[in-house]
Order: sequence, then C-alpha cells, then structure tokens
Amino acid sequence: MSKLRLAAVSFLNARPITYGLERDDRVDLRFDLPARCADLLAAGEVDLALLPTASYAGFAEDLRVVPGVAVAGRGPVRTVVVVGEVPLQQMTEIALDAASRSSALLLKLLLRERGLAPALVEVAHDQILDAAAGTRGALIIGDAGFVATERFEHVTDLGREWTALTGLPFVYALWAGRAGAATPADVALLRDSLRSGLAHRAEIARGWAEARRMDPAVCESYLLHNIRYTLGAEELSGAAAFITRAFHAGLLPGRTSPTPVRLYDDGRPERPITNARTTAPLAVPASQDSRPRARALSLDTLLADAAAGLRLGFDDAARLYDQAPTLELGAAADARRRRMHGDDVVTYIIDRNVNYTNVCVTRCKFCNFYRPPGHKEGYTLDRYVLAQKLQETVDLGGVQILLQGGLNPELPLSWYEDLFRWMKANFPLAIHGLSPEEIRYIAEIESLPLRTVIERLVAAGLDSIPGGGAEILDDDVRRNISPLKCSTETWLEVMRQGHALGLRTTATMVFGFGETSRQVLTHLEHLRALQDETAGFTAFICWPFQAEGTRLKLKDDTSAVRYLRTFALSRLYLDNFPSLQVSWPTMGPDVGQVALRFGGNDFGSAMIEENVVSQAGAVFKLGAADIERYVRAAGFVPRRRNMRYELLPAS
Amino acid sequence: MSFATIATKVRAGEPLSFDDGAALFHHPNLMELGALANEVRERMHGARTYFNRNFHINATNVCVASCMFCSFARLKDGDADAYTMKLPEAWDKLQSRVDAGEPVTEIHIVNGLHDGLPFEYYTELLAGLKRIKPSIHLKAFTAVEIFYYHQKYGMTVEEVLRRLAAAGLDSLPGGGAEIFAPRVRQRICADKCNGDEWLDVHRTAHRMGLRTNCTMLYGTIETPEERVDHMLRLRALQDETGGFQTFIPLAFHPENNALMKLPGPTAVEDLRTYAVARLLLHNIPHLKAYWVMLGVKTAQTALWFGADDLDGTVQEEKIYHMAGAETPQTLSPDEIIRVIVNAGRAPVERDTLYNVIAEGEALLPKQPFRRTGRRALEVVS
Repeated sequence: MSKLRLAAVSFLNARPITYGLERDDRVDLRFDLPARCADLLAAGEVDLALLPTASYAGFAEDLRVVPGVAVAGRGPVRTVVVVGEVPLQQMTEIALDAASRSSALLLKLLLRERGLAPALVEVAHDQILDAAAGTRGALIIGDAGFVATERFEHVTDLGREWTALTGLPFVYALWAGRAGAATPADVALLRDSLRSGLAHRAEIARGWAEARRMDPAVCESYLLHNIRYTLGAEELSGAAAFITRAFHAGLLPGRTSPTPVRLYDDGRPERPITNARTTAPLAVPASQDSRPRARALSLDTLLADAAAGLRLGFDDAARLYDQAPTLELGAAADARRRRMHGDDVVTYIIDRNVNYTNVCVTRCKFCNFYRPPGHKEGYTLDRYVLAQKLQETVDLGGVQILLQGGLNPELPLSWYEDLFRWMKANFPLAIHGLSPEEIRYIAEIESLPLRTVIERLVAAGLDSIPGGGAEILDDDVRRNISPLKCSTETWLEVMRQGHALGLRTTATMVFGFGETSRQVLTHLEHLRALQDETAGFTAFICWPFQAEGTRLKLKDDTSAVRYLRTFALSRLYLDNFPSLQVSWPTMGPDVGQVALRFGGNDFGSAMIEENVVSQAGAVFKLGAADIERYVRAAGFVPRRRNMRYELLPAS
Repeated sequence: MSFATIATKVRAGEPLSFDDGAALFHHPNLMELGALANEVRERMHGARTYFNRNFHINATNVCVASCMFCSFARLKDGDADAYTMKLPEAWDKLQSRVDAGEPVTEIHIVNGLHDGLPFEYYTELLAGLKRIKPSIHLKAFTAVEIFYYHQKYGMTVEEVLRRLAAAGLDSLPGGGAEIFAPRVRQRICADKCNGDEWLDVHRTAHRMGLRTNCTMLYGTIETPEERVDHMLRLRALQDETGGFQTFIPLAFHPENNALMKLPGPTAVEDLRTYAVARLLLHNIPHLKAYWVMLGVKTAQTALWFGADDLDGTVQEEKIYHMAGAETPQTLSPDEIIRVIVNAGRAPVERDTLYNVIAEGEALLPKQPFRRTGRRALEVVS
C-alpha cells in the first residue's frame, strides 16, 4: 500500500495536527511554506495539504476538506495582529509581510467592513516589526505577534475582529485535497494524529519555546486557549462565510463562484435517532449563513472529539444535547473529566452558607426565600448571630463562608466593608461572597463604578465571588423570570472585572424554566467566551429550577436524566473550565454521585446551612463523612479543597 | 476476563459465566458497563418502558420470621403497630377504587407469616376481591408465604397453589428470594425457606402455568460473587421453565431494622447491579426499576442502565416506607409517564402479564414538558 503524501505548514499552531503524523510511517509528511504547499498539491506531488483557508479559496480547482480537523479560533488569536502607535482607524498605511497572503486577505476584508482604506505596502519578513511607526501600522503574523502585542500601544487582533463581525470562528488552515484522495481510513488517521497532538500540547509548546528562546507558558496558553483544533458545523460556517465574503469583495480573482467547502466522507454514518430524547421534537433552526452545504459530523465523531478536548461548536453542541444517547453523552464527559483530572480524586469543601439578609427588592418569581423591604419576616443577621455561625464553622473544620443575601436597600457598601474587616479580624475563614447581582446593586445604590466597588470589597477582605444569579444568561429568559435582575451583560461584566482584579469566581446555571436547548447553549457560550478572555472561573455548577412554593409553576423537564444530560454537555462544552461541581443539595446525594460519572470532579460542599433552595423543596443534608462515602462508592478518592480548588493536606 | 471479551459474548448472545458476572461487578468503568447493558435493553425492548396501574395490600404485618433487614414485621397481634386487616377492610381497598372509577388492573398482595389465621383467610381474601372486580389481576403471596402455608396447613406446595388459584390467584410476586447463598441467608433471614425451597415453589408454579417474578435483596452483607450466584440460579430455573417475567433487584434500606448500622447501597452501586443483572439474565425478559425503593430519580436513570420497567402507581406501600424510604406513596400515571418521557423513553402501559394496554400518542401527557418554544412559563400568583 502506498503512503499518504502530505504537506503542511510548519507553524506552531499546526504542530498538534501534525504531531502524530511525524511519528507515523504510513504517511510521507513534508513541511513547507504555505504557498509551496498549495503548489505541491496543484502539481499532484502530495495527496493532501494543510492549506491556509485563503489558499484553499483561491485554488483553481474545487477541493475536498477533511472533516473535524483544522486550525481555527473563536475570538482573539494573538498571532494575526495589526500593531501600531495609533489605532487602526487612524492608520494611513499598513505594512504587510510578503509571506502572509492569507492574513492579508482577512485584513482587507475587515478594512472593507469598517470602511477603512489605508495603503497596503509589502515589506520583507524580517523588517516588519520595525515598519510600524507614526501613522503606519504593521500586520504581524506568527510568533512575532506575541512580542508585538507587548511592544505597541494599539493592537487589533484580527481573530477577535472576525468573530465580532460575524459571530463565527475563523478557520486559519485546513486539510484539503482532490476528490478521492483521502479514504475514510485516511480521515481517521488524520483525526487520530490530532488527538495525540492535543494530548501533547504542553510538550509541543515546550519544544517550540526552547528552540526559539520563548516563554513556554506563552506557547502553551496559545495552543490551549487561542487555537481550536476542530472543524465542526460552526467552523465550516466560519470558513464558508470568509470565502463568500472574499469572493463578493472581488478578492478571489480566479473564481467565478465562491469556492464550495465539501467534506471527505469520514465513513461514519449518521446515527439513527431512535435512542434520542423522544420528548422534544428537534428544533434545530436553520443556519443563518449562506455557507455552501456541508455534511454535518456524526454524533459519534462529535462525542469522540469533544472527549479528546476538541472545542465543540454551538450547533454541534445543540445537536448533542437534543439527540445524543444519554449514556454516550455521559461517557464522553466521563472521558473528558479523566483527561483533565486523572482517575482518582474528587474534591469537596467544608463551608457554611450564610444568608446575611432575606430582604430583597428583586421579587424573582422562582424564589421562595426573599421578603420585600418592610415585610415583617425580613431579617438582617447581626454580629452576635454571625459570630456564632462563624465560630461553629471554624469548629467543624470549615475553611470558607459562602456569603449571599438579598438586594437590601438598607445596606450600603460601608456595611459590607465593615463586615468583611470584622470577619477577617476574628475568624480564619475565606469569604466567598456576593454574587454579581449583589455587587451590581451595591454599585447602583452607591453610584460607583463596578470596579471601584469590587476593589473596595477586595481591600476589605473579599476572596472570591460565587457565580449565583446567572440563572439562564439569555435576556429573553431573564426578562420572563426575573425582570428586575441584572442583564446577561452586567452579570458577565461583574465577573470580568472581578477576574481582572485577580479574583477567582464560580459560574452557575439554573435550567428548567422552559428555555430552549439553544438558550442553554447561549448561557454556556457566554461563560466559555469569558473564560477564554480571563481564565478566572474555577468551577461550573448547574441545577434544575426548584419550583415548590414559588410563584412559577413548573412546566419544564427537571428530571434526573435531564440534569445528567445537561451536566455532561456542560463538561464537554466548557472545555476551559477546570472543575464541574455536582449539585447534591438539589438533586440528592444519589444523583449527585452518578453525576461524578457524567463529568463531575467536585462534590461541592459539606454544607452546614443553606436557606434558599431548601425553602423551595430541596431537603438533602450531608456531612463530610457522608460525602466521602458517596465519593468512594463511585470509585474515587475524596479530598478536601479550598475555594481555589487547591487540595488541603489530608486530615 | 476482559470487558471486551465479555462484550463480544453479549453481542453474540452467549450466556455469561460466573466469572464474567464477577468481573462485571468489579469493572471500573461504570459508563461502559451501563452502555453495554443499555445495548441489550434496546435490542430487547427498544425505547419501550413499561408501567401498570396497581396498588398494594399488605393484609397483615404479623410474622413468625425475624429477618434482620425487615422494618415491617411484628411478631404477634397486639404488639405495637401490629395489624391484621379484617377481610372487608381489605376488600374495601378495591371497592373504593372501583367506586371512584380508577382503572386499576393489578393488586400486589404480600403479607407477614401469621401463625393464627386459617388458610381460608387467604382464599376468601382473593375470592372477595374477584367478586368485586373479576378482571382484576391478583399477583399475590411470595414463595416464602406459599412455603409457610405448605408447612403450616399440611398441604403440598402444589396443593396450596391449586387452592389459591381456584380462589383467584393469577401470578406470584418475586419477593422473599433475598440472597440464596446459605452463608448470607442464615445470617439475615434464617427463619425463611431456603434458596432451593424458594426456587421449588416457583418451579411448581411455572409448571401449573402461573407466571411469576423474581427478586434479589442487595446491599446487606453479601459479596458481589454471591449476587452473581443468586442470579445464575434464577437463570438456570428460567432455562428449565421459562416462567419468570421480570427480575427486580431490591436495594436494602437500613432504617428501623436490625441492620441499621449498614449504610445501604448508593446510586452508583444500584446502577451497577442493574446493569450486571441485564447482562447476566439474558433469558428473563424484563428488568424492573422499582421506584419505591430506588427513588424516582435513580429509577429514571436506571432506564439507561438496563431497566425497562418502573412498576406501577403502587399506592399504600408499607414495607419499604417503614424502612425509611423517602419516596412518595404513589405516583399518578401522568407522573410515571412524565418520568419515562423525560428519560427519553417511550411509555407503555401494560397489564401484569405484559399485554399492552396503551402506548404511543394515547399515553403522552396533554401538556408535555418540552424545552422548545419560549412560552412555557406561567406565573401562578
């Protein structure tokens, strides 16, 4: 059997794709410049080439694309940037690296979209960094981007610009070849190579950095967070959108129509959906872009890729949520957890949930805890009661207080500052306190910027922010269930500011309000995108709405199986969240335990007190010994942690 | 025995060995085990998930046996909480439901081993129920009770069954099997008939044309190997007679009994036991996740780990609730259907013998909980 002949670009971001191939004697792999790769393919000297999307689009013939494997990115990429001493819109001239035709095409498109028309001038590769001066900017590609970003005041990341413009990922490079050049076995081989490359990203980054005297952490972070090695429905949309726009802008002179994106067969038939959730008729809306028709990946492929750590696209994730068989979704999440955390440890924390006030102006329909201002059952805990609770917590081995309350108009910022200082002065406990809604409200009544409020709270002793009040981060849902609560953007902004100040926070999701699958995914997408930006989230926790006694009638599926499916999907979609915490206080310890096999690595807290969900029907209580028994029975070793998810010495 | 080898045997339809069963109990990957059990479940039943409309009568809790795991029995009439229903009291439980127009199809009757009642108490109990509703299916008396009647009233097992069948008995429930291994049986239920005697009652019933169920009490002091031994003995009898309809693993509940110090199994152990049962018992058609003892949430999850049946509406269950089960006393048919539909399964209402009473559109709730569309919330106040 003849070897598969491949050509690939030799950039850092391509190495995870070629990692396995470099060690595989079934292929003949050569590295070359992008333009050369296209020439080799045109001359028939290789079967497949890893081409920049612009080369693919401008290729004289229609090619096929290998499904599932690409150098793509959603948002900032860091290695395709325009830098300069002035902002992009004030640049009169932009210097281009002669080797960067693909990035130049992206730049031209983005300039057109923004109505800008600076002169574009080519300079030699090694002079590009010095070219930016005055009103002349420079388009920098590759490793030089890391340096340039530090050196210049004004940096425009073209990956970020593209996603901001289209809402889609950008595909930087993909495997392409002539029809018939790759069999399903070849496709599988390329995917396997990527899988092993993904598992060795740290090693690849180290090797690259050592050879170039760079910081390995920068390279690793780049491979982990900026590049997405997948070609799913969303990436295909991104590639098609780029090609279509480039064609209509007259930037593909050799073509008479936009280059179609057609996939090679990966040999995996679409799974019949007899096992799928039979409840919800599939409501996958038509895609909004005009991309050439490409066959979607099979559910099996999506699950295998996601389990291996490839980024799941929005549409693909919605399909998994609606259609994937429950156990296969769970098994993929279990495999993903194992890759991230190994086989053994499940963590938990001993803390106490203190609800300092139940007075609240928000009147959420799903809440059974709050009392409006002036109500005779309203309370604010005094120092005497608090001191008792805190001392009990210390005595029981607790390391943290989860401090949350209503939006009480009687409590100014100084009340919280005094409280935190008093707590820190008297008790060795971390303060995990004030959800974004509470912080926003304090900023509102004090007429202060969010950042100032958080800075002052941190100065007074705040250690971290709990992720409550997120419910569903989709404003249609929020307007319906909690119209007075903060918007999606505000919730995210509090977290962004907190992360910027060095705080770590958690994120939550409450589902079961009748939201659609896509609204659940929208929530997860918001969290994933912010985590890409800040890396400040430690953990994600979700649970179904607890309806009893609230003013909302339960009309949605909040069953155990939906919880487990939602949980597993979250593990796969939130690929940049280290920890997923199971919610035994709402689901019960048994379902919480099963969720450890659906992607969970944290059993939450041995809670000494909880007042909110227990007011709405959840009645479970577990001590540390119970938690350890459940964790062990599921096949894990229980370990105590602190809020930063650092293991505490075994007691 | 590697998991892959076992999976190959399962897919080829070969019976698994004792060693295979033990290996499955020790297999570390729960999801892989569950997926294989689910494959068998879907091969046998697709997405279909069965339930029925039934209720329980526990006519007396007076019992000569002192089983360690039991929170229900009292030794004699007059003890605290001891009760023995007068027959009209028992009959009225059916009469009141018939009067209310409830379409109940089955009564599940299980009692203590009362040493002061005449045999006619039982035949009259059945006959009276049939007089009220001739079409009602009477699934009554565990093998332990039948064997006790054989000893107490001096009749052969066959004679006991013949006379009860003449009075209206339609099938036997599967209780009282506990764990067959003598080591365990002597320690937790020494007063009960032994494993061979239990199996012999079912063998006799099957030969007379009665269908029966079978159970296993797990989570006390038995080893995984003793569970495998138990299931293989059931499988051997099924090879011989084909009379078992359903296997029901029963999780031990620790409250209010002599084994209170044991913690009781957790959900992961429940799901594992269900999955292994589905794989070992290839010749028993159904596997029931009895929601009363598993809890509704775990029972629903078990529908992906091999189970295809949720039992029924139940009502007035006493035995498990006296052992601390926190499940509701009853689920309405709509609630059961919703549990099944939310699991992504297809509900089928059956009678005791698994004849289909209703399925498909006819069963789906008028306002199913759906996640499509935005207008699903309604403010109550």
